[in-house]
Amino acid sequence: MQEIEQGALLRTLRNAKDRFNYLKKITAVDYNTYFEVVYILFDTETKEQEIIKVKLPHENASIDSVMEIYPAADWYEREMAEMFGIKIRGRNAKRLLLEKWNGAVPPLLKSFEWGKDYKKLD
Amino acid sequence: MAITRINVGPIHPSTHGVLRIVVDLDGDEIVNAEPHIGFLHRGVEKLMETRMYMVNPPYTEKLDYVAPLGWDDLYVAAVEKATGIEVKESAAYARTILLEFQRIASHLLWLGTFLNDMGQFFTLFMWCFRERSKVIKFLEDVSGSRMFYVNLRPGGLDRDLPADFSKRAYELTDYLEEQINQYIDVTEDNSVFLERTRGVGVLSKKDAIAYGVSGPVLRGSGVEEDVRKSLPYYVYDKIKFKVQTFGSGDVYARYRVRYYEMLESINIIRQALDMMPDKGDVKGTPIKLIGTPAKPEEVIVSRELARGEGLIYMVPDKQRPYRISLRSPAFINLSVLSKITKGAKFADLFPILGSLDVVMAEIDR
Repeated sequence: MQEIEQGALLRTLRNAKDRFNYLKKITAVDYNTYFEVVYILFDTETKEQEIIKVKLPHENASIDSVMEIYPAADWYEREMAEMFGIKIRGRNAKRLLLEKWNGAVPPLLKSFEWGKDYKKLD
Repeated sequence: MAITRINVGPIHPSTHGVLRIVVDLDGDEIVNAEPHIGFLHRGVEKLMETRMYMVNPPYTEKLDYVAPLGWDDLYVAAVEKATGIEVKESAAYARTILLEFQRIASHLLWLGTFLNDMGQFFTLFMWCFRERSKVIKFLEDVSGSRMFYVNLRPGGLDRDLPADFSKRAYELTDYLEEQINQYIDVTEDNSVFLERTRGVGVLSKKDAIAYGVSGPVLRGSGVEEDVRKSLPYYVYDKIKFKVQTFGSGDVYARYRVRYYEMLESINIIRQALDMMPDKGDVKGTPIKLIGTPAKPEEVIVSRELARGEGLIYMVPDKQRPYRISLRSPAFINLSVLSKITKGAKFADLFPILGSLDVVMAEIDR
């Protein structure tokens, strides 16, 4: 398991592409003062699994898109962007699951309040 | 080149749930087919953060209403890993047998609806449902309910197996093998079926790995990858079975992989029944005795579900999960739809969608 800085993300994943050719999941966790984005990688030949974690500050959180390295990242990044409010640099990540969402707070944040941070559609 | 835009709306008999596809057509040829999802989004990941650990299995089961036991097992395995409870030996054999029966039931429903979409109107669908209802009756006698079982506890099952479990399981495998072997005559000898499925919706081996698909879609493109062999669990490392692959990457390949997986599951069940200890204890820990996780370390568990590889990433808290993230196989399998339908005719859209085997509740969570 590796914990890296945001600036080293693209470089680390390009190096990891030789050893791990398959991306299993991109997910994020909200730890109240910071986000942690988790990449789970796998190799179909050697059957090894690897986890890479990136810490992001809560204010104006944004991360680079890894779609050129692993094309599987497309829908994972779109879902993470709309659920957590993390901006993806380098592409226009359109909404995937919540196309007509008009709430103020992204749903999976810990500060989301049930019944208050969402306005009903007419 | 004039593009016509057609909406294959969320209410449609062939979309296997609520799925909206916006298709751009040039005459009869598809230029782009974009799936729009989210009609069945219920916020399951957020809801599971507010409930205690063993209240959550009903949420995970309703993610895939065709093969619920797979998700139930995946979640209970994550709780076991977090709390350190080990699965008893007899229970590991029993879980393997029940999971393989669930895989057969799921593939039977897939086969019936797949051929329905191609015009084989309801004959084979009725035969597959006859077989599936016998499997479901067997699972009902083990767990108490036909569809949403909730009979797995950390460490084993929730009650003892019925007394005639082995005998009925052997009889059921004999019956299923005899019936499933007849289905190949309906499809392989049918020139309409072969012409509609060969060379249609091709996904190459390099693309299959790059786009992250899993399960029969990945194995139908020639990649030999199965979680039961790569990261083995329960008793799969003691059982000899073959990973079914087929190299052509089209709709016919995925059909063949699932068909022979059904027969391979029967082989696995028979070996597990032979090796199962006679009078073993299968009961797991009751709900109120499950302890709290020792320290909040993250947990990653993988299982081979009927549609592909399911994965849970969980950060446990004292009484409830702090964050649970679900990787559903059909989510990523659907994302390659726009790539593999380019250049196909409009009538090929539904065989291609059927071969990906999507269940919308699992995609939208």
